[in-house]
Amino acid sequence: MTAGSPAQPAHRAAYLAFDRFPSSKGSAVHIAQMADELFAAFGGGLLGVLGGGGLPGYQREGDREIVRFGEQVPNLIDRAEAFSAWAADRLRPHLATLEVCHVRDPWSALPVVARDDRRYRVVYEVNGLPSIEMAHTWPWASPAALAKIAELERYCLARSDAVVVPSRVIAGALERRGVPAGKIALVPNGAPVPGPAPRPAGAPDRYLVYVGAMQPWQGVDVLLRAFARLADLPGLRLVVCASVPERRAKPVRRLAERLGVADRVDWRFTLPHHEVAAWLAHAQVSVAPLTGCARNLDQGCAPLKVIESMAAGVPVVASDLPAVRELLDDRVHGRLVPADRPAELARAIRILLEYPDEARALAARARDRIAAGLTWGHSRAALAEVYRTITRRDDEGRWC
Amino acid sequence: MDEEDRVTPCDVTTGFFVLGHCGRPAVAGCPSCGKPVCAHHAGPDGLCPECADRLAGGPASPYDPRWARGYRRTYYSESSRAYNDTTWYSSFDDYDRGGFDAGGDYSFGGGDFGDGDGDFGGDFVDS
Repeated sequence: MTAGSPAQPAHRAAYLAFDRFPSSKGSAVHIAQMADELFAAFGGGLLGVLGGGGLPGYQREGDREIVRFGEQVPNLIDRAEAFSAWAADRLRPHLATLEVCHVRDPWSALPVVARDDRRYRVVYEVNGLPSIEMAHTWPWASPAALAKIAELERYCLARSDAVVVPSRVIAGALERRGVPAGKIALVPNGAPVPGPAPRPAGAPDRYLVYVGAMQPWQGVDVLLRAFARLADLPGLRLVVCASVPERRAKPVRRLAERLGVADRVDWRFTLPHHEVAAWLAHAQVSVAPLTGCARNLDQGCAPLKVIESMAAGVPVVASDLPAVRELLDDRVHGRLVPADRPAELARAIRILLEYPDEARALAARARDRIAAGLTWGHSRAALAEVYRTITRRDDEGRWC
Repeated sequence: MDEEDRVTPCDVTTGFFVLGHCGRPAVAGCPSCGKPVCAHHAGPDGLCPECADRLAGGPASPYDPRWARGYRRTYYSESSRAYNDTTWYSSFDDYDRGGFDAGGDYSFGGGDFGDGDGDFGGDFVDS
């Protein structure tokens, strides 16, 4: 029995994610917005996430409880399964009152969907599919193991009441896996449109900026190769605001040394989100060099770095992928270049640097586009509608 | 040193997305962990919220390596019943699991896994 803390009322809503929260990653921004909307709609709730790194195992914030799984289980599958069991245990005291459980991955979904006696509805938010992403990031994972994970995903998706995706590409990928289109709701990512931010201390006079993590699909290697082609531009530097700890950047830093650009690259690791906004705002160009891999093309993505760059009013150069085209139109809100082509990327950056008026016009239109339809307010309104729809009951109290 | 400097602030972590410390004047030390807690955060017997939660029924020793294993075994049993397949959920065998051990050279990107502190991260799915 691990009830919430003493005197805590049973919750009507729960949000579970096999993800560390809070953190400097884009996923944490997303969790904050989605969970906040859920808890606003249901008068509080239970947030179950990963902890560690000094985060408290338990917090109570008014009508919200935050519980964190902090056990150091070395093997990922062992850890994921232990998380599932822990989450099931944490939910147990609330089973009689829960109305909505919002989950973010198969390991948080399993303890929620596997109960035949459940009285609550399940929203499965799919930002990515581990069976695809882990093929990139865990090269020793066997095809058989990935197939079992895909089966777990299929099982959880089939038993969810609504599936929320941030991009139409991901929706298409799920439909190909058999998820009915009528069950899928598009809730795009968003960004606040920030006001003026002071120039970050130590910021170079002229710099390109990359914001995000270092997984192979992010294309930081492509960016470094492109940057090497811009060596003739005096004083131009590249600032990498990495959302991951320094040790995760070793391979790309080695590449920067091999390419001879290491002395022109400034690294900033795990900056708080509000500081990243300032680095974005003062950059000449923000680059999102996503690669043309299965993760980005088949599964899809909804890169927050692109949306946040647009909101910050900085010109964006991004890879021309279907998921990015949903966010910006080439030569209207930014520039799209073929993925995995350093020369093309360098050329697009160079042109924006040489035509600053045109770059500013692109950035202004991009910012207007975010303000008009891609703020977190828009996202949360769409999510609230999903909650309303799935919790609607008929006159006899049954789910509609 | 004036009076204000001698006030011990409450050390309980607060906040949702941006975390900080409570900072209200502490009225007690948590009898379990010693952390100073204010009247707002002090639970029964003066416990801090984390210790109150843990002592309310959490695992006795979460650092016991048998703990996760025990959890899993119980959970396999429950979830496999719900799945109408008594063997499925334990079907990740040693060979499957071997590809996901922490600490190898390839864990650098960790994907979205392993971005936490230490090599045992496990967070998943960035946007």
